[in-house]
Amino acid sequence: MQTSRGWSVVPVLALILAAMWVTSPAAQAQKPDAKVLTEFKAKVEAYDTLRKDLQKKAPPLKKTDDPVEIAQAEKAFAQQVRVARANAKPGDIFTPDTQRVFKRLLNSTLKGDEGVENKHVLKEDRPPASKIPFEINGEYPKDQPLSTVPPDMLKVLPMLPENVQYRFVGKHLLLYCTRGNLIIDYMLNAIP
Amino acid sequence: MRTPKPNTLTALLVSVLAAGIIAAAQDLTLPRKQGSLKFAVIGDTGTGDSNQARVAKVLWGTHQNFPYEFALMVGDNIYGADNPRDYEKKFEIPYKPILDAGVKFYAALGNHDSPNQRLYKPFNMNGQRFYSFKPKNGVRFFALDSNYMDPEQLQWLEKELKASGSDWKIAFFHHPLYSSGERHGSDTALKDQLEPLFQKYSVDLVLTGHDHVYERIKAQRGITYFVIGNSAKLRKGDLEDIGLTAKGFDAGYGFMLAELDGDQMHFQVISDQAKTIDAGVVLRNRQPNAPADAPPGTVTIPKKPQK
Repeated sequence: MQTSRGWSVVPVLALILAAMWVTSPAAQAQKPDAKVLTEFKAKVEAYDTLRKDLQKKAPPLKKTDDPVEIAQAEKAFAQQVRVARANAKPGDIFTPDTQRVFKRLLNSTLKGDEGVENKHVLKEDRPPASKIPFEINGEYPKDQPLSTVPPDMLKVLPMLPENVQYRFVGKHLLLYCTRGNLIIDYMLNAIP
Repeated sequence: MRTPKPNTLTALLVSVLAAGIIAAAQDLTLPRKQGSLKFAVIGDTGTGDSNQARVAKVLWGTHQNFPYEFALMVGDNIYGADNPRDYEKKFEIPYKPILDAGVKFYAALGNHDSPNQRLYKPFNMNGQRFYSFKPKNGVRFFALDSNYMDPEQLQWLEKELKASGSDWKIAFFHHPLYSSGERHGSDTALKDQLEPLFQKYSVDLVLTGHDHVYERIKAQRGITYFVIGNSAKLRKGDLEDIGLTAKGFDAGYGFMLAELDGDQMHFQVISDQAKTIDAGVVLRNRQPNAPADAPPGTVTIPKKPQK
């Protein structure tokens, strides 16, 4: 279709629609990856700051000959976290935006020959999902193995502070605090 | 470390006496030179069951004739729950005579191990999930956390390897880069990350577990690999013939003794029945005076065990 001035109506309409989409709430909700990852890191750092504060109130987790001391330090710290994060909910750290970006990053490591290897690692000795409580501030069961995380995945995901790790339970990704043996957040179906 | 209960001590005394008998029956092929570095390697140990106890007895028995200074643990040090009682049952009691003799244990973390095992002093991890140590001049050991090989650990490893110059470089960790075990097999995702570093910095020897068998791998790119995952658990008949095996044993339990002397590392693998499963010599990588027909990582096997 052409106007009297010779303009094509279709491109003009496309431009108008594109301009409307860019300013729409749906488009604005799609934060750039860099921003999402920065926000994620800030949330993890906030947890780490809390960890540092809380562990001052718990028995120190230090090198010892006596495993009783390790167990007591873990449990006391975990209890402090449960009180301090009593209102924490699933998705507080793994926000919907983070989940969107993480899923894409993780998916990129599951393609090609390397993807086959990485899938194999994830299937290795994974704990059954039924044995793991998907509970914020829940204890990771001591009698279950911790899944091995493929190095390729650790390369694409944001680096975590020393006491926080990514761990998989089947397709689900945990944010795991080694200090208190705690699940601090989780993302269901992080990988296909 | 806490003292086990009196009835446990009685059981241990019986164990120690039995171990002496086993040791007497054991033919050691190792040179047992004065001044050499002697150590043992055990893997997938922490069951607390009779299989672990039996291997531990033979291991202790060999100490009389081969006084190893330390033992490497290649992961799965405490299976199942790791409550305080489990440390006692799955480590302190089985290895009590060895610990009492002053032998140090250096642990790497397996997939069944809590990351906080790093704080348990008898594992000598110095509070770290990956670490290195130098028991004497000219040799350095690298304990890695193969469950969580993040960029931080890879950077640390490269820095440590680079700084270790011409030392013997021996890495130990849980997941095997090469294995003919049907249950797990080679961890190729990990191999992609570690093998280039091992090659670049001339790592001599890699000790792993995870597959519950013993396997010596044919030298891969000049590096000798061992799987020693049968010191308490066993997957009978698990070794497949995929062309990797130089020597395999999937019919029983065992451990390794090693003696490092100059550019040679002698090894002997012994079963829970005190039989020699494998023995030989690993030549040091990149050794300056290596004969032309002896590529790095070559393993030579003595024709007859020497008594």
